[in-house]
Amino acid sequence: MSAMDPTEIFRQEASELFEVLEGALLDLGQRPDDRELVDSAFRALHTIKGSGAMFGFDKVASFTHEFETAFDRVRKGEIRPTQELISVALAAKDYIRALIENPQSTDDIIGEAILDDLKRFVSSDQPAVAVVEIAEAPPLAPGGSKQAGWHLFLEFESHILRNGSNPLDLLEDLCKLGPCFVVPITDGVPFLDEMEPEDCYLKWDVKLHAACDKAAIDDVFMFVSDEMKLTLSPLEHVEAPVPAPLLQLLDEEPALAAEMPAPTVEAPVVEQLVAKAEHGPQAQPEVKVEAKTEPKIEPKAEAKRDDRGIATVRVQAERLDELMDRVGELVIAQARLTQLASAGSDLSIKMIAEEIERLASSLRDTTMGARMVPIGSLFGRFRRLVHDLSRDLSKPVEFVTSGEDTELDKTMIECLADPLVHLIRNAIDHGIEDTATRSANGKSEQGRIELAAVHSGAQVLVTVKDNGGGLNTARIRAKAEEQGLIAPGAALSDHEIHQFLFHPGFSTAQTISALSGRGVGMDVVKRTIENMRGSIDLSTRPGQGTTVTLRLPLTLAIIEGLLIRVGEGRYIIPLSAVEECIELTAEDERSRGRNFLNVRGNLVPFLRLRELMSSSGTPDQHQKTIIISTGETHVGLVADQIIGNHQTVIKSLSKLHSDVTIFSGATILGDGTAALILDVAQLIALAQSKVEKQHISEAA
Amino acid sequence: MSSDVTEPKWSLRLPADCSIAAIRNVYDLIREAFGRQDRLEIDCSSVDKADVTSIQLLLSTAKTGEARGRPVVLTSFSQSLRNTLRRAGFASEAMIGQHFPQKKDGV
Repeated sequence: MSAMDPTEIFRQEASELFEVLEGALLDLGQRPDDRELVDSAFRALHTIKGSGAMFGFDKVASFTHEFETAFDRVRKGEIRPTQELISVALAAKDYIRALIENPQSTDDIIGEAILDDLKRFVSSDQPAVAVVEIAEAPPLAPGGSKQAGWHLFLEFESHILRNGSNPLDLLEDLCKLGPCFVVPITDGVPFLDEMEPEDCYLKWDVKLHAACDKAAIDDVFMFVSDEMKLTLSPLEHVEAPVPAPLLQLLDEEPALAAEMPAPTVEAPVVEQLVAKAEHGPQAQPEVKVEAKTEPKIEPKAEAKRDDRGIATVRVQAERLDELMDRVGELVIAQARLTQLASAGSDLSIKMIAEEIERLASSLRDTTMGARMVPIGSLFGRFRRLVHDLSRDLSKPVEFVTSGEDTELDKTMIECLADPLVHLIRNAIDHGIEDTATRSANGKSEQGRIELAAVHSGAQVLVTVKDNGGGLNTARIRAKAEEQGLIAPGAALSDHEIHQFLFHPGFSTAQTISALSGRGVGMDVVKRTIENMRGSIDLSTRPGQGTTVTLRLPLTLAIIEGLLIRVGEGRYIIPLSAVEECIELTAEDERSRGRNFLNVRGNLVPFLRLRELMSSSGTPDQHQKTIIISTGETHVGLVADQIIGNHQTVIKSLSKLHSDVTIFSGATILGDGTAALILDVAQLIALAQSKVEKQHISEAA
Repeated sequence: MSSDVTEPKWSLRLPADCSIAAIRNVYDLIREAFGRQDRLEIDCSSVDKADVTSIQLLLSTAKTGEARGRPVVLTSFSQSLRNTLRRAGFASEAMIGQHFPQKKDGV
């Protein structure tokens, strides 16, 4: 296995940092006084800059540096992050992303224009509405009125250099606060054989002689505060103050100033200078190296975690796919072994087969778990979408997400992005009314979009809910009649009428915009969701909004299935859709023609799979009914035999069979034969259409 | 890698890039040279990029040499390396000399 290209690792890490940065900027638009958000955005920027420089992305480092500098007034609380400023900052983020991912597509002029905008916004004199006073009173020297300074002990976590952080830059920043006496502590540097060359072993003991408050020092280490121990104590005695004569001397004697290295100043050099200033140029004080002082440990540093180990490992997605394929093959081989073992009489072989079955099942679950990704990684992307649409359409929209921790197979997450973009665009463009209409209807001017995910059995439900005007059923019906999709005046329920929204080319939008109205979108959404073996439901309340619910399986690769026999053929029903199995009674048999079962007082339509599959031969005497469901809809499937549970490795059907809608795929059984996997959503739709036809014929 | 082991055999010239991006290679180079020679002289004249990792590697080399009784001598510190040392707090020649064994005529 080849090691990952370090540049590619940087790109991936940068991608995650961009999400953090974008999230922080968008949140800042909502909570402009939240200092933690500003810090979070700065940390992300700083890491991008540092890592960018380290991996040779010089343009990225340079642009990000300019971005940081321009945004610095926000960090200092001098100006308020307005929506306009946030929009420019987001554009700057997009530009940096383009510099990393597709540098050919970028133009320096665009970058300069963004920076000019950013500088223009931050240079306007907008006072911050709330500047949080966190600075502590500066420590005083024993004399009372004079500031003595601070004694700092800096110890960084070993991995800090790998993140692009540079302790030397931090020391330099610290020295900008005032004269610093920096002593490197080299005790921690190991022998060559024990060394990890990219780790940080040096520590520093620093005496800062400056009338600054603690907050100013905290600001210097803001980006690395989680990755270091900073021990801070007031300087209680003036060990090496920088007297006025020295400063004067430095000005007067450039040679001495040159000898004094900038920005760090070593104590002996200062002592020499002090002596020279106080006793004249003849004085030659003994130069001695300052002894390393024992650091004063402060409680804050102790609170930091020291045991931060490697908790995650970055793995290429293809390797996970490959692993899943191997597990799939293992499951098929295990099924064959189980079948062979059950046909024989060797007990030990049976035991081994059972053990392998157990291990394969466990391995399958573990592998599937490794592919699970929190859906929050997807939700974060839509905040920007809502922000931009809200701005472009002048519709203030509050975007609320929940269930971000809900996990889905990574492939599902990737497939879900485009459908959700369509749904959210539709909700803002068509669902949420303009502010005037909302006010006239007694609603708040700000619309609301809720994006939620929740586990429901072996499915995940993703909902997009808006509090807009709801679907205009009459208009949808009129459009369907106009397009000849239904006969004028045909008896259809509201639910059926709403289904026309998923018809290719169907749109009720009166104007075509950049966002929607072309009639392309909802049909693609439905097809994509169904290709994922999911389903889509619409519910709406006039004047109150619309909810779109996507029901998705947890994974696309392996499912638990129920193996059934119909005639000579064997089929798999996804176990997640199975509610119960019952025997088809003689009474139900007598009701032939009506195709309804009485399940504890509820009438459930059923389909005879023998008829559907055109099976030949005599049906079994005791027919079984498997009740399947999607949401509130239940349908019975009548089969000859229920064979049992089956771990089903899903194989796609060939293009030749792509138009067979009632099958979602195929699998290989233990004896090497194939079984088709029934598409539950399609079967339910088929049963419903049969019921409707029956209703219509009965009504006639 | 722009480094090479030049004559005399025991002299190792550090490459221009001794920053974290290339420090692993420099580390391997020094360890390899350590394995070959009793006395190691490291020429630092070409170092153009240096950072905390370069300083640590030189400190560790000196420490290891001292512990094994195999002297390590550093020669011809480049300006870039000196600047980095100063930024890290090794601010005077005395202090540099204390931590990094140097060949007097090579400085």
